[in-house]
Amino acid sequence: MVKKKCFFGIKTDRQVDGDKMNAKLSQEVLAQGGENAAINACMQCGTCSGGCPNAERMDLLPRSLVLMVQRGEWEKVLKSQTLWLCSSCHTCTSRCPRGVRPTDVIEAVKAIAIREGIKNDSVRFNQIFVELIEKRGILFEPELMLKYGGLKALVDQAELGIKLTLKGKLSPFPPKVKEPKKFSEALTKAVKK
Amino acid sequence: MKYSYYPGCSLHSSAKEFDISTKVVMKELEIELEELQDWSCCGGSIAGGVDHNIGMALAARNVVLAQNQNQDLLAACSGCYNKSAKAAQALENEQERAKITSILTDMGMSVSNQKIKVRNVVDVLVNDLDIAPKIKKPLTGLKVACYYGCLLTRPADITGWDSPVFPMSLDKLAQKCGAEVVDFRSKTKCCGGPILVPQEEVAFEMTKKLLDEAKSLGADCIILACPLCSNNLELRQPDIEKKYNVNYNLPILYITELIGLALGIKPRKLGLDKHLVSTKPVLAKVS
Repeated sequence: MVKKKCFFGIKTDRQVDGDKMNAKLSQEVLAQGGENAAINACMQCGTCSGGCPNAERMDLLPRSLVLMVQRGEWEKVLKSQTLWLCSSCHTCTSRCPRGVRPTDVIEAVKAIAIREGIKNDSVRFNQIFVELIEKRGILFEPELMLKYGGLKALVDQAELGIKLTLKGKLSPFPPKVKEPKKFSEALTKAVKK
Repeated sequence: MKYSYYPGCSLHSSAKEFDISTKVVMKELEIELEELQDWSCCGGSIAGGVDHNIGMALAARNVVLAQNQNQDLLAACSGCYNKSAKAAQALENEQERAKITSILTDMGMSVSNQKIKVRNVVDVLVNDLDIAPKIKKPLTGLKVACYYGCLLTRPADITGWDSPVFPMSLDKLAQKCGAEVVDFRSKTKCCGGPILVPQEEVAFEMTKKLLDEAKSLGADCIILACPLCSNNLELRQPDIEKKYNVNYNLPILYITELIGLALGIKPRKLGLDKHLVSTKPVLAKVS
């Protein structure tokens, strides 16, 4: 389908349209991310997109992403690359004149996307990261690299690893909290809920 | 003043010099640090994007530990600081507090009503202390670019002690140390830290812009307070040089190392020998 464009190349499907609003997704986002992920106050001014350091690489700019959440466009939102290009820098959040926090909105949408089964390298990395923290409570980076990138990553990063070890910055023993089992069980239980 | 000091994962590994220099400088300035007992990872910018409640519980765990020690929490790492401060704010919210409490109770912890503050080392250094009279060795002639990144000052309702748009705290501290501060326009631009591994190309491009500007301004080093930024700017600097066929060789120092030098503390005692990009050019300029 050819996208209709009006003057100046503005995409008509990225505009506010009262008939197209569907609160289901925004409610889902609110349930996941709490009050900080509320978007009702958004007036679509685009300040968030204007300040985003990664906007040029995104398929949906932060403003459009928030609009798509408001319109309940699940597929567009969950398949968007924007979720994985956001580096949580909070520039949008500190500039929003309406107090909306696109960083927190994107964070909540990411969690929903993972729950809905979206798969890509970023999802895999984030899941492994959390899995490892749940295991011992403290991150052990060589393990993260090995689990994410396999032996290839370890070989690619070998030079850096050796340099860090020589500087006494890399211990061969993974650190952990005092009671990793209890720690881990509490977090696993919370996810199951 | 005594704080519960929260080093976090990085300060015990790749950012060891930040840990060492923070302890040495705080001791010199008569601030007592007691390491937070049994601290855990704050979850960084990643955990909350996998599950909000997990992210919150991870960060809140350290705040609650500090509450139980009845001391304000002091973090050096910008990320740990930001997430802890966010968790402290969430504990004030009834809904969030209930969810956090349920997870922490399962861990065998009790969440009290004790009110504590979450502070960052830079905040304490610039707002509570006066380092100027203690400067023994002014760093005259050293040109530095102060880089704030994201989580040290944003969002302002969580941080609040410096401007999120045009922060000056690191600049002021560096000036007090006698260094010349260059007008670094990218000082609050993101380095791409949290997306480095899965989106390496994008993160490299973001970091390259920072290195390019600092270099073009003639800075002798970049000063910062975030181990994740340092990971990109220093540890991956050789990879960026290789990829773009450029040569930076730009030392990256933590603010506490810079202050330590000005306080007359020996570089080795501050961990300056632990950097992968040699800090010798900086030391040569100041001695």
